[in-house]
Amino acid sequence: MVGALAGARDEACSILRRWTCDVKRLLIRLLAAVGLVPAGRYRALKRQADEFRAGTSEWKAKAREALDQVKKLSIDLKMQSQLVDQLQQRTSEFQTLQERLAAAERDLATAREQLMAVEVKLDILEGAANVLDTRTRSVVSRQRSGSSASA
Amino acid sequence: MNADTPLVSLVLTGRNDGYGGDFTRRFHRVLEFNHRQLAARQVSHELVFIEWAPPPGTPLLVERIFDAVPDLSRHVCSWYVVDRLYQEALSLNPRVEFLEFIAKNVGIRRARGRFVLTTNCDVYLGRRVLHVLEHAELRPRVLYRAPRHDLNMPEACSTVDWDVLEDPRNLSGPAHVLKPPYMGSATGDFVLLDRESFHEIRGFNEVYRVARIGIDRNVLVKALSAGFAIEDIGGPVYHENHEGSYRLNPTAFAGRETEAPWGDRRWHQAGVSYQNPPTWGLSGAPTRQAGDGRWFLDFSWDAVPPMVDLKRVVLPVARRGGPAPGLYVKKH
Repeated sequence: MVGALAGARDEACSILRRWTCDVKRLLIRLLAAVGLVPAGRYRALKRQADEFRAGTSEWKAKAREALDQVKKLSIDLKMQSQLVDQLQQRTSEFQTLQERLAAAERDLATAREQLMAVEVKLDILEGAANVLDTRTRSVVSRQRSGSSASA
Repeated sequence: MNADTPLVSLVLTGRNDGYGGDFTRRFHRVLEFNHRQLAARQVSHELVFIEWAPPPGTPLLVERIFDAVPDLSRHVCSWYVVDRLYQEALSLNPRVEFLEFIAKNVGIRRARGRFVLTTNCDVYLGRRVLHVLEHAELRPRVLYRAPRHDLNMPEACSTVDWDVLEDPRNLSGPAHVLKPPYMGSATGDFVLLDRESFHEIRGFNEVYRVARIGIDRNVLVKALSAGFAIEDIGGPVYHENHEGSYRLNPTAFAGRETEAPWGDRRWHQAGVSYQNPPTWGLSGAPTRQAGDGRWFLDFSWDAVPPMVDLKRVVLPVARRGGPAPGLYVKKH
């Protein structure tokens, strides 16, 4: 008998718990239909919303930084590409200069060779002039001494 | 080529003027040694001696040579005595009293050997040189050079042998080292080339007669320009030091180079080349035979090249594999 009563009580409790849950769910739905939520839920959502808000401003700051960085890098990139252009131009100028230098060196070597040949020829001419001068003086001296002797 | 064509003609030049002190004593010792060594190795050789512009009033070297060097065979000697008027007529610098390389050209032009070695009266041939000659290990169109060892001969030395030559105590300084492309340094003491090639380049420079110094180096420029190779023969020759040698005091005329008896050493010997006239080596000189292997070259203006012939001063050319002409220029 006692056992039967206990069983009935448990049964009743269980039915009551289910009913309570159903009522609770119903109430929540009804409240949700008019835009309300339970206080616990409200607090949890508020906390989550605050967290999202804080995260958003953090991300915004990061985005601003990134944007600044992008701007800076764009300027750098522009400068670098200008530098590359300048370097390319310089390289081409340098190659031209190198070619001119090689040509100048060749010209210089040729000029130096010609100069040496000219100097050697001048040595010969100077030597010949000196020899002829000596010979002429000796002939003239002989002629003079001959004519003075005959006089 | 005749069967009696010698392998090598040694071209020497000198005169009885006491050059460098006791010239004849040195010359006789060298001649005796070189002839003995060549004969011992059975190297068929000819000695072409140019007695250049001998001074009047002194006996000719040729008159005494066979008494002074009894071992010297007359049949290997070709002795040319060149009238001293040639020295006067050819001179472009009265301070240069011995036109050594024109004298050598006289010898080269008349040498009979398959190869011609121009050397000096105070130069002893070394073992390696003799070995190469003995085994005829010579190639045409190769100009052979030998480094020079300068020796101070002992006072009491009357006969020269290998002990004297190879005694390091007699060396007066470090041996010369030959450096490419020229293999220069004391070139006048050893230039060995086949006769045909020597004729092709027409010997040493006869156009530039203002200096004696550097004419030997100039022939190397000419040889390279002509496409010849220049090689070290692989062993030394020995030079007997004597007074008046350029080698002993090369800066004796520093600051007054034009007064030097060898001419101004600063001339562009390494920067220019030359084209001797076809009459090089006094080929047109009237030649009078005065005995066995003995000739006189009498004077004739017809044999004298023009005093000035500037078109014969030319620039050297570069050969493939050889140095560019610009590199011939000595950097000061």
